[in-house]
Amino acid sequence: MTARRRDHPPALPLALSAVLVAFLLLPTLALLGRGLGADFLPTLRGEVVLDALRVSLLTTGLTLVLTLVLVTPVAWLLARFEFPGKAVLDTLLDLPIVLPPVVAGVGLLLTFGRTGLLGRPLELAGIELAFSPAAVVLAQLFTAAPFYLRAAKAGFGAIDRDTEDAARTDGAGRWQVFRRITWPLAFPFLLEGLVLTWARALGEFGATILFAGSLQGQTRTITLAIYSAMESDLGPALVLSAVMVVVAFTLLLLVRLVSARRVRA
Amino acid sequence: MTRLLFRALLRGLALSLLLAPPAQAARLTVFAASSLTDAFTELGKAFDAQSGHITTFSFAGSQALRTQLEQGARADVYASANAAQFEPLVRAGLLDAGQGFVKNRLAIIAPRGTMAVTALGDLGRPGVKLVLADRNVPVGDLARRMLAAVGQSGAYGPDFAARSLKNVVSEEPNARQVALKVGLGEADAAVVYATDVTPALKPRVRVIALPSRFNQSAVYPLGVLTGAREGAAAQAFVKFVLSPAGQKILRRWGFQAP
Repeated sequence: MTARRRDHPPALPLALSAVLVAFLLLPTLALLGRGLGADFLPTLRGEVVLDALRVSLLTTGLTLVLTLVLVTPVAWLLARFEFPGKAVLDTLLDLPIVLPPVVAGVGLLLTFGRTGLLGRPLELAGIELAFSPAAVVLAQLFTAAPFYLRAAKAGFGAIDRDTEDAARTDGAGRWQVFRRITWPLAFPFLLEGLVLTWARALGEFGATILFAGSLQGQTRTITLAIYSAMESDLGPALVLSAVMVVVAFTLLLLVRLVSARRVRA
Repeated sequence: MTRLLFRALLRGLALSLLLAPPAQAARLTVFAASSLTDAFTELGKAFDAQSGHITTFSFAGSQALRTQLEQGARADVYASANAAQFEPLVRAGLLDAGQGFVKNRLAIIAPRGTMAVTALGDLGRPGVKLVLADRNVPVGDLARRMLAAVGQSGAYGPDFAARSLKNVVSEEPNARQVALKVGLGEADAAVVYATDVTPALKPRVRVIALPSRFNQSAVYPLGVLTGAREGAAAQAFVKFVLSPAGQKILRRWGFQAP
C-alpha cells in the first residue's frame, strides 16, 4: 500500500464512489429488509422454501464431492506435467467460466438429452438424465467445477518442489508424498476453490432450468424456486433471496479468511 | 474534417426525419400470454401497417405478466389467457374492464417417433415423463382440471389424475416452454393449448386424441391499462383484435370465437 496521504480526498471521486457504493449496497439491504420481515420464520418453514433448500443442498453437495474427486487429479496433472497442447487444453477447461450458463444448458441438452449425442447410448443403458436431480448436478458441475480447477492448479503450482523431492529421497511413495506434503500445502487454495465452486453451483440458474426443468422437491433449486415464486406468491421468493444474501456473505467471509491464512502461511 | 462530420450529421438528421413515424403515431406496448406469440406477432404487423403505430409485444406466462403489472411495469394493453390472471388487476384499478376476444382448448402432444404415449390413458402409466405448466399458469390450471375430469369419469381408473400428476417431471413457467420440451423430444408427453401446435412444431409432435367431454377451454380477456400512455392507440388495438380482420388472423392460428 503506497497511497498518497491527503487530508481531504477530492470531492468528485468521493461523490462518484458514494453513488457506486449506494448502488451496490441498496439492493442487498432491500432484499434483507423485505425478506427478514415478520413472516420470515413461518415462510421459511413452508414447503416451497424447505423443498428448495433441500434440493439445493443435496445437488450442490454432490457437485462438490464430484468436483473434489474428478477435478483434483486433473489439476495436479496439469500443474505437474508438460505435454504438447497443454496450453490449449488449459484454455478450453476454463471456457465454462466465461460461457453464458444458458449456452451451457443448450450444450448439455445437445449432449445428454434424449435426442442428443449420447442420447441413444444412455437410453440403452437405461439412464435418463433430463428433468432429474442428476441433470441439476451435471449443470452445476459444468458451470462451477472450472473455478475449483483454476484454484487447485494454482495451489499445486505454488508448492515448493524441493519439499516433495526431499520426502521422496526419504523413501516416501508417490501417494504418501501427495497425502502428506502436496495436499496439506495446497489445501488453502483447494478450500478457496471449493467455496467458489459451491457459490457458483448455488447460484446456477440458466443451465438448470433448460436442462433439468423445474419441479418442486426434485429439480427446483433455490434460484428456480425464487423465479417461480416471483410469478405467484412473493413470500417464498423474498425469504429465499434473503437466505441467499446471508449465505453469499458467509461464503465471502470464508474466502477472505482462507486467503488471509494463505498469505500468512 | 469537421465539415465532413457536420455534413454526415445533417444527412443523418434528414434521414431520421424521413424515417420517423407520422406525428400521431404511438409506440404501443402490449403484454400478452405466451400462447398468443405467433398470432399476435402477425396481428401486430397488420395493425401497424393499417394504423401507422409501432407495437411491441412482451410475451410470457399470464401469471408472470400480471405480477409485472402489479409491480408497476408499463404497458398499454394486457391480453391474458384466463380471467383468473386478469380480474385481480381490474379489481386493483390497474386495468379497465376487459372483454373476451378468443377461446382456446387443450391438446396433448407427444414427440413424433416415440411410443411411450399413444393414448390419453398412457399419461397415468408409471415411468411416463409428463410436462405441464405450473399450476398458476392458465394452461397448467386447465391441464390439471382436464386430468381431474378424466379421473372422475372413471374411464381409466379412479386414481388416473393422481397417477398422471406423479408422472410430472417439470412444471414450466408458460405454455410455450411446455411445448418446447416435447419439441426437443425430452418429454414423453405434455398438455398444451391446441394453438401451441403451430406449423413450426407440427412436424415434430403427434397430437394425442382427447375426447371433447374431458377437454377444457378458457376465454382470453383483453383490456387497456388504466395507466396507459397511449390510450387512444391502445383502444384502437383492442378494436382491431375484435374486428373481422383481427379475428381472421386469430382463427388462422387456431383460436376459436369467444
